[in-house]
Amino acid sequence: MAELPPPHSSASRAAALAAAYISHRHGSPGHGLVLRDVCHARREDIDGIGHKYHLEFVLEDIFEKDSTVNCTAEVLYHLGNKNSAPDVQFTIEGELKNTDEEDNIFYNQIKSLKKELEAENIPDSYGNVSPEMQPIRALAWAASGYVIWQNSAENTKYQLAQIKRVKQVKRTDEYLQFDYVILLHENVSQEIIPWQMTVLWHPQHGVAVTQNGRLPKHALD
Amino acid sequence: MLFFLGMFFSLGILIPGKLSLKLQYDGDQVLYIVPETLQQVQHLQHLCSTLLLDLWKPLLPEDMKAGEDLHIRVPAPLVQEVKESLDQHMISYKILIHDVQELVDQSTPRETSSNRQIPESYNYTQYHTMEEIYTWMAHIQNNSELVTQHYLGKTIENRTMYYLQISQPSDKNKKIIWMDCGIHAREWISPAFCQWFVKEILQNYESDPKIRKFLQNLDLYILPVLNIDGYIYSWDTARLWRKNRSLHMNGTCYGTDLNRNFNSSWGTVGVSYNCNSEIFCGSAPESEPETRAVVQLIESKKSDILCYLTIHSYGQYILTPYGSTTKPPSNNEELMHVAQTAAAALMEKYGTSYEVGSTSLILYSNSGSSRDWAHMIGIPFSYTFELRDKGTYGFVLPADQIQPTCEETMLAVTTIIDYVDQKYFPGEAMILTSASLGLNLCLTAVLTLIVS
Repeated sequence: MAELPPPHSSASRAAALAAAYISHRHGSPGHGLVLRDVCHARREDIDGIGHKYHLEFVLEDIFEKDSTVNCTAEVLYHLGNKNSAPDVQFTIEGELKNTDEEDNIFYNQIKSLKKELEAENIPDSYGNVSPEMQPIRALAWAASGYVIWQNSAENTKYQLAQIKRVKQVKRTDEYLQFDYVILLHENVSQEIIPWQMTVLWHPQHGVAVTQNGRLPKHALD
Repeated sequence: MLFFLGMFFSLGILIPGKLSLKLQYDGDQVLYIVPETLQQVQHLQHLCSTLLLDLWKPLLPEDMKAGEDLHIRVPAPLVQEVKESLDQHMISYKILIHDVQELVDQSTPRETSSNRQIPESYNYTQYHTMEEIYTWMAHIQNNSELVTQHYLGKTIENRTMYYLQISQPSDKNKKIIWMDCGIHAREWISPAFCQWFVKEILQNYESDPKIRKFLQNLDLYILPVLNIDGYIYSWDTARLWRKNRSLHMNGTCYGTDLNRNFNSSWGTVGVSYNCNSEIFCGSAPESEPETRAVVQLIESKKSDILCYLTIHSYGQYILTPYGSTTKPPSNNEELMHVAQTAAAALMEKYGTSYEVGSTSLILYSNSGSSRDWAHMIGIPFSYTFELRDKGTYGFVLPADQIQPTCEETMLAVTTIIDYVDQKYFPGEAMILTSASLGLNLCLTAVLTLIVS
C-alpha cells in the first residue's frame, strides 16, 4: 500500500475517473459533477489483479462552483485486460442537490417540442452556454461520464471538452433521446477525440448510453 | 488630415525623452503669422529662441522668410506675452488652434486620469483576435514610456513575433523576468493573462510601491502570443487546435507541439514522432522557427534572466522542473517553497486552489518543454502555470472568468517576482529615481507658473 501525495498524477487520474463514473450514475439535466480537489489517495497493488486506488476527494457542480460534495471511492484498474472498464465503488457524503423540479420542467419542455431539438458547439468558442442549452450540456456531461469510465486506463485522463452536435430523436416511448457528437480531451496525449453517443433519459430512470463509439480524428473537418 | 498628422509629429518631437511627466496642452494656441519684412522675421526668430516657442512651420527658425506663413505653438502661460509682443511690432496674426489639448483629446481615446496610460477602450475581459493584439501592442508602446516593442522572429507562416519590454528608465543594469503566453493555440486564457499583466503593471507602477520597487531592478519581457499561427487557426478554423502550423509528411499533416520542441532531453519521453499526434515533437530539437526565435533571445540574455514563466491552461497548477525526469532540480526546495507561497497568495483572492509540484510527478512525463530548457540553461526560477479551470470548461473558459483568473494569477506572479527581486537585490530601500525627481520639479514649475 503506497500513500500518494494528492497532486500525484495517478491519484488525480483515478479521481477524475471516479468523478466521471459518479457523474454518470447521478447526473441529470439539473446538475453535473466535476472533480475539484483530491484530499487523500492510497494505491494498493494486488498481485494478479491490478492496482486499486483508495481516494477521498471533493466534487463541485459544474453550474455552481460553491456547491460541493465530499466523496470516497475505490478504483480498481484491471491488470492486462484492456477491454475491461475499471471497477468503481463510491460513497457520497451527504446529499446531492435535488433537481426533480427542473428535471420535470425540462422533460415536459422537450416532449412538447414540435420540431426536434438540434444544436452545435456547446459551449461555443468563447465558453458561452445559453440557459436553454444547460440541461442539454448536463445530460452530455453525465453520458460522457459513462464513456470516460468505459475507456479509461491508469495512464489516461479524460474530460468532456465540447459538444459538437446534438440532435434530439423523437421516440414513441416515454424516454427522451439525444444523439450527440462530443469532443473528449485526453490529458496525457493531449488528443481531442470525437465520440458519438446515443443518450436516453427519463426523470425517474436516469441517464443511459445505449450506443457509443469513437469517431475518426478528422471526422468533423 | 496631413496637417493633423504633422501636428502630432511636431508634438512628438517636443516631448522630452526621460521625463515621466505626461504633457498637457491645455490653453496652448497655435498662431498663424505671415511676416512681411526681414525685421519682422528677425523679431519672430528672436521670440522663438528666447521663449522656447514650438515652431511647427517651418521646421527651423533659420528657414523663416518674409511672405511665407509660420505656424507657432505658444504654451498657454506665454500666450498673452507673445501676442503683446507681436502687436508691439505690428505683426499681424491669426489663431489657427484655440486650444491644442482640445484637439488632441478629440483625436485620441479619452484618458480619464493622468495616471492611465492605456486607452480605456481596450477590453481586457474579452478574448482578442491576433489582429487586435498586434494593434494593442503597438498602441501600448506608443502610449507608455515604459514599454518598447521588440522583434523576436517570424512564425512558420511568416507572421512577425513581438515581445514587449517593460523597463523603468535608469542607468542601472537590470536583470530580467521573462513571461510567455499562448505557446498552445487553444489556451486562450493564457494570452489574455499576458495582456492583463502588462495593463496592470502600467496602470499601477506609479502608485504601487511593490511594483515600483521591483521595476528598479528588473525588466519584464512579455511575449503575449508565442504560437501566433496556431492561435489564429484556433480562431478561424479549429477552436481546439494546439500545435503550430508547420507542414510535415509530404504536406499531409500539420503542426509541431512547440512545448515538446525545445532542446531539453528532446524526443525522449512523453512525445510522439508522428505528426498526427498532438504531442509531435517536431523533426529535430528547435526545428520550428517559433522555438528558435524564443531560444535565440533567451540564450543571448540568459546571464541576466532570473526567472522564466510560461503560461498555459488548464488544470490550476504551478509546475516546477522537470517533465523529462523525476530527478529534482538542484534548487528544488526553493522552487517549491516560492511556488507554494505564490499558490497561497493566489488562493487568497477567490479561494481557487492550485497544486504545486514537478510536471513529471503531478502531470505526466514530457521532454522538450520550454520550461525544462530554461532551467537547464541556467535560469534558476522556471515555472509553468496552468490557469483555470479544472475541466468544467477546460480550454473554452468563459470570458466572464477572465477577470477573476487574471486577478488571482497576478498575485501569484508578483509573489514570484517579489521573491526574485528580494533575493538578488536584498536590502534596497525604495529610492527616488531621477525621472520622478524631474517630475516633481516640473510639477512645481508648472504650479508656480499657474499661480503667478
